[in-house]
Amino acid sequence: MSVGSARPAFTTRKARFIALCLLPGVVFVVLFTYYPVIRGAIIAFQQYNLFDLTSTPFVGLENFRAVLAEDRFWTALRNTGTWVAVSLFFQFFLGFGLALLLRRHFRGRGLYQAWVFFPWAMSGFLIGLLWRWMFNGQFGVINDLLLRSGIIEHRIGFLATPGWAMTSVIVANVWYGVTFFAIMIMAALQSVPRELYEAADVDGASRLRQFWHVTLPHIRPTLALIVLLRIIWILNFPDLIYSMTGGGPAGSTDIITTFLIQQVIGGDYGRGGAVGMLVLGLLLAFSVFYLNATRFEKAR
Amino acid sequence: MRRLAKVIVLGVWLLITLFPLYWIVVTSLKPKVEIFSMPIKYWPGNVTFEHYADLFSFADFGTYLLNSLLVSLVAAGAVTMIGVLGGYTLARFSFPGRGALMLAFLVTQMLPLFIALGPLYLLMSDLDLLNRLAGLMLVYIAMLVPFATIIMRGFYERIPVALEEAAQVDGASRLVAMVRVVIPVMLPGIAATFIFAFVQCWNELFLAITFIDSEDAKTIPVAMNSFITQYDIDWGSMAAATVVSVLPTLVLFAAIRRYIVEGLTAGAVKG
Amino acid sequence: MRTPLLPVFAAATLVLAGCGSGSSSSGEVRLRMIESLTSPERTKLIKTLIADFEKANPKVKVELISPPLDSADQKITQILQTKKGLDVLEVRDHTAKSFSNNGWLAVLPTTEWAGWSDLTELAQKKAVEVGGKPYLIPYGFYERTLFYRTDWGMAQPPTTWQELYEAGKKMTSGDRFGYSFRGGKGGADYVVQMISAYNGEALNPEKSFFLKDKRTIFSTPEAVQATDLFVKIFKEISPPDSVSWGYPEMVQGFTSGVTGMLIQDPEVIKTVEESSVKTWSTAPIPKGPSGYAFQPVGYAGWGATSFSAHPKEAVKLVQFLSEAKQSIAFAKGNSLIPISKQAQGDPQFSQGAWKAYLQAQQDPKQVITIRPVDYPGWSQFQVDSDRDVQALLTGKKTTAEVLKSWDAFWTDQAKKVS
Repeated sequence: MSVGSARPAFTTRKARFIALCLLPGVVFVVLFTYYPVIRGAIIAFQQYNLFDLTSTPFVGLENFRAVLAEDRFWTALRNTGTWVAVSLFFQFFLGFGLALLLRRHFRGRGLYQAWVFFPWAMSGFLIGLLWRWMFNGQFGVINDLLLRSGIIEHRIGFLATPGWAMTSVIVANVWYGVTFFAIMIMAALQSVPRELYEAADVDGASRLRQFWHVTLPHIRPTLALIVLLRIIWILNFPDLIYSMTGGGPAGSTDIITTFLIQQVIGGDYGRGGAVGMLVLGLLLAFSVFYLNATRFEKAR
Repeated sequence: MRRLAKVIVLGVWLLITLFPLYWIVVTSLKPKVEIFSMPIKYWPGNVTFEHYADLFSFADFGTYLLNSLLVSLVAAGAVTMIGVLGGYTLARFSFPGRGALMLAFLVTQMLPLFIALGPLYLLMSDLDLLNRLAGLMLVYIAMLVPFATIIMRGFYERIPVALEEAAQVDGASRLVAMVRVVIPVMLPGIAATFIFAFVQCWNELFLAITFIDSEDAKTIPVAMNSFITQYDIDWGSMAAATVVSVLPTLVLFAAIRRYIVEGLTAGAVKG
Repeated sequence: MRTPLLPVFAAATLVLAGCGSGSSSSGEVRLRMIESLTSPERTKLIKTLIADFEKANPKVKVELISPPLDSADQKITQILQTKKGLDVLEVRDHTAKSFSNNGWLAVLPTTEWAGWSDLTELAQKKAVEVGGKPYLIPYGFYERTLFYRTDWGMAQPPTTWQELYEAGKKMTSGDRFGYSFRGGKGGADYVVQMISAYNGEALNPEKSFFLKDKRTIFSTPEAVQATDLFVKIFKEISPPDSVSWGYPEMVQGFTSGVTGMLIQDPEVIKTVEESSVKTWSTAPIPKGPSGYAFQPVGYAGWGATSFSAHPKEAVKLVQFLSEAKQSIAFAKGNSLIPISKQAQGDPQFSQGAWKAYLQAQQDPKQVITIRPVDYPGWSQFQVDSDRDVQALLTGKKTTAEVLKSWDAFWTDQAKKVS
């Protein structure tokens, strides 16, 4: 091993450098994320209710069975589907549209971006409050505007009627999320090399054809990834619903994460853990499926 | 025609975006009777600042603001630093366990944190970190480290290795090379990561309400959460609190908007 | 590695560690106290009482924690679970059982405390209601009463639920509604109250979810009538938003002039007095067709934790708060039914809006009941029944379905207890 004889010193130094750089991050994540999550996962198999901690025996899959037997779980699951799909659809297309409009430089673009992007800086909790106030059935400005413009004749209890409540939280979520999509897509658009367009110009391709044949194929992998991140994020995003409707009325805006919060806040950590594990399983399965379907590996 | 259409569409969208902000400002300036009076007024009949005054006299909003600021600044700073170091190693070295580590970091983004709340509460109690800003900082750092590390790695990958190698040839150590040559190029990315982390900490609600209940350690979201569930939803003070709590992030955002647009996307998209 | 890395980390750690809220180490005792039924006015009042306590006991400092009402009991449970950092707490009738089960509450001494003999009979009874030991000293009692607008064309207050519906019908037009309905958290309580009234004499007041013949109150045709009227009241004379109203919204509905009638606890008297609504009065709660009305007397009190590091001072604070001067001030400030015998002569508790309470006390058909709070499924039912009520109101479940499941639940509970 004469060749390697000079190396150990270097390798140890390198290893030490790597270890030191990564250590703080790893320590934090292990101690404050993985450790409690794993503990929480174990609790999923225990009878563990805050209001009676005198005995917390292991009960196997009992919590999972109880959760799966609950109507509310399935309602929440269905709602999650609607919540994610509809929010995503509008966020994506409106965001895309906005990004396309903002792609080319025009006077005042910077200022415009600054104003239009401000929802990004607000928390889901605040957005929920804001819209809860605007959607108020009595003193809400949205009812007032609709009445004045003659679109409706009577006030609508937006957050009180099951169908409307879901629409209302989705409207708020779309309002919130378009910005983020626009920022992401703008960046993706900017990543398209100018030469590609120049080549297309030479070929005399129309704007639309350019978009379809040059832009889209180039940003497709990026889009696929943004969409995946977004799906995970929207699904794990209970803040807005929490402050806007709390999952009500009658569970009609409960999504799987607000359902989870209610279990945990309600003190039933066992069932909460079971719901959490189900969510995680669902997300992992979906991600694998999605990445395969969009052939993420190849695109990369 | 086309231009006009574009202007109209952009104008309408601006209106839709800004109206809620306008409305919350108007609500915060209305006296209580006007907030709950029947033809709705689109501009307060009597502009009042009483709700803002209330925030700082009845509620201890000054303390909450300071707490939020301290927690967010320290946590975001630490996260960014850890991200700068971790991202560098992940981008520049290959070592056993690198893939696994990346995966472990990525998976944290999917973990339902709520199942961890109970055990985390007990852990924090054992470490005597409940009702302490330091405790909140630690949890926030843990929450954001994976994201910051991955995003930073993305930035490093866009910088040619040759840059550092050139510096190293001149005899500088790896770290010095990193600090002198790479960091300046990375500044937009670092700024973006910092801002992102700051906003996340500033806005975080569920961890904060779990770990903080002492008056003197409350952050703004914790304080606002106790407003809504109290028995008189005082929309005037709520609106004022919203305005006050959005201002700092708004200012920060406006100041370095460019970095965010460039930085966040580049990193996250690559991630 | 000649790097500044380590010092940097060390510095960062120091900064972090330094940010803890400082701990005092002089001779003083620090008590932590938590309240549950938080409201801004009440918190202020408690703080002044605490200030008096601190003045009388200069070595003791009390930190009051005021978690948001909705999740306060969970918060308290969470803290209790760690068995540290809490000395004095608010215990409610709902939570007393589980707190004492888990061994978190200290037994309060009653013999060498002069204040005990000053408590009313009811207060002494409720203090030892759970497990026969004084785990808490009540600070006051809650009984519901009907608040109504006198300027909305109603000459006499309704005495039955049917009359309430009819009166509300007349009030409802445009932006005005007859009744401050509660469809959100705690809503099930109201339908149970109506069902109880409709069951009339057959009901067993000692176990108010059951009839004298041991069947549940949910099994009778009267229960169906009551529930149907409950839904009708929501649909026809209450704001649509009230499907999700809890305590704050229903009170606000009345005080902002949206609704004409409200059934609530006495502490609302104060809120209404301070609101812009000036023309209002109170009456006993409505009865069922056979002339009976039932309601439990709600209570909450102060207790000390079993693991307090300063048990002596903690007990002292509980006793201080429960003594005549403080407890009457507290009952007045929150308009609660007081626990001190000395308050019986106090005019404030027999005048104005309080008359309705005297009237109810003198009516033999306004009956005070005891709810089955000591049954194992009690807290489960609290959560489930509220959900069922919303499902009922939004048409997702029928009256028959809801009543059938409640009947099944309590029949099962009865088996578990006997």
